[in-house]
Amino acid sequence: MTSTTGTRKFHKDRGLVSRMYFTMFMLGFLYAIFALFLFSVGMPIYFVVGIVGIMVLVQYFMSDRLILASTGAKQVSESEAPELHKMIKLLADRYEMPMPKVAIIDTPIPNAFATGRNPKNALVAVTTGIQSRLNDRELQAVIGHELAHVANRDMRVLAIANFLVTLTSFLMTMLFWNMLFGGMGDRRNNNGGGVMMVYLVTLAVYFIGQLLVLALTRYREYGADHTGAEISGDPGGLADALEKISGTVANIPDKDLRKLQTANAFLIIPAALKGEGSMHLFSTHPPVQERVKRLRELEQRMKYGLS
Amino acid sequence: MSTVIKAEARLQAGGEITPSRRAGVIYRNDDEIAFLRDIKNELNPVLYSGAGATKTAFDIVDDDHGMRWVVLEDGNFEDLVSSVYTVGNAIGANDGADNLLAAVFELYFTGTVEDNTYRSGLRTYWIYRYDRKSFYPFVPTGDEEGERDRPTEAQLGHDLRKHGLLVERSLTEWMGLWGIPF
Repeated sequence: MTSTTGTRKFHKDRGLVSRMYFTMFMLGFLYAIFALFLFSVGMPIYFVVGIVGIMVLVQYFMSDRLILASTGAKQVSESEAPELHKMIKLLADRYEMPMPKVAIIDTPIPNAFATGRNPKNALVAVTTGIQSRLNDRELQAVIGHELAHVANRDMRVLAIANFLVTLTSFLMTMLFWNMLFGGMGDRRNNNGGGVMMVYLVTLAVYFIGQLLVLALTRYREYGADHTGAEISGDPGGLADALEKISGTVANIPDKDLRKLQTANAFLIIPAALKGEGSMHLFSTHPPVQERVKRLRELEQRMKYGLS
Repeated sequence: MSTVIKAEARLQAGGEITPSRRAGVIYRNDDEIAFLRDIKNELNPVLYSGAGATKTAFDIVDDDHGMRWVVLEDGNFEDLVSSVYTVGNAIGANDGADNLLAAVFELYFTGTVEDNTYRSGLRTYWIYRYDRKSFYPFVPTGDEEGERDRPTEAQLGHDLRKHGLLVERSLTEWMGLWGIPF
């Protein structure tokens, strides 16, 4: 049995999947409570929902073009970058998805990303920095990870999740100006305390929503690591790439250590949350060490068929 | 801290590093803390009395970022390192543990770095962050925030790790200290 070649089936990472669904559920729950709350205080909510809805839809449907425009990524044809096209075509075939658009960003900072609301509208971009630093095996693993985001429909999940956060941040700004200059035509609840209360609730919803979205993003990140490794059959390739990229000079910061200290003093995080744990709460990507560790474990499992 | 002496000695033997006479401890001052309020008098006995006292010369300097430095000077590198260790310990043991930012050693680097350019007698700093309990190199190229020689830092970080220093793994934590007052 252990000598069979070809693709192996892995058991799904059940813990991960259930944490992911739990986070999504909590987010939906938060949405509902917040909507009820706004209704009960009589906010003119439709207007805001409409505007934010349009914003999110534009972002969702135009993401590939927006990203090309905002990052300076240049779409390249097959004749301009034949090697890269070949590599991506091979991976796309394994995912059974159509060939995505391919773009290159001319910067020494090593990075790669994929976008697109579904596999038919996907775009994969790599920087010249990552191309020069990684070997073919590692680059293939990185692109496999990015295509996994597309295959897992992560754009859609995050667009929905982001909707709430964008909405609340919009409301916060509105309420803030409302408090400063008083009233926006609707004087029904025009007592300062009421607006202040709504502002504080919005602030809390924004904060919690943001944390949930970030948690969700991190789970999708692990998910893409897992899917990408299954497709390439080479979790070690991505682990090597991550270690290489995280060890490059571009990561050495511009920031002064003294600024970190003063910034910390003003953060509204309870002291108990400080340290390693809270940094994870606020990041979009799980720590590289943890991703590498999981990939190495997966590599062992795939090699020896252990479960 | 003894790992600093070991790493320095090995790199000096290889001709890559020469120590300077200076080092420092940077901390956030707080006059509520008795030891910090009277730091000059408090440090005198710590560095000057008792058997094995290093008798390292020191000065107290305020920087432009509202932080305070204990700047130490000693021609004997081992004594210098030992004094930095002692000062950090003394502040930490007298209610100032949360105020400590970093210990900084000044050394000169000579060698070829990744981009194939040669550096001769380049001034570098080895920073020890008290919150992360790890070292990293810092090579400023100017006094403006962000001006640093990253290739040399990467090279030096690699060499320091190879010679047993506990180098900070996460490069994003290699925060600079521009305008070091020594």
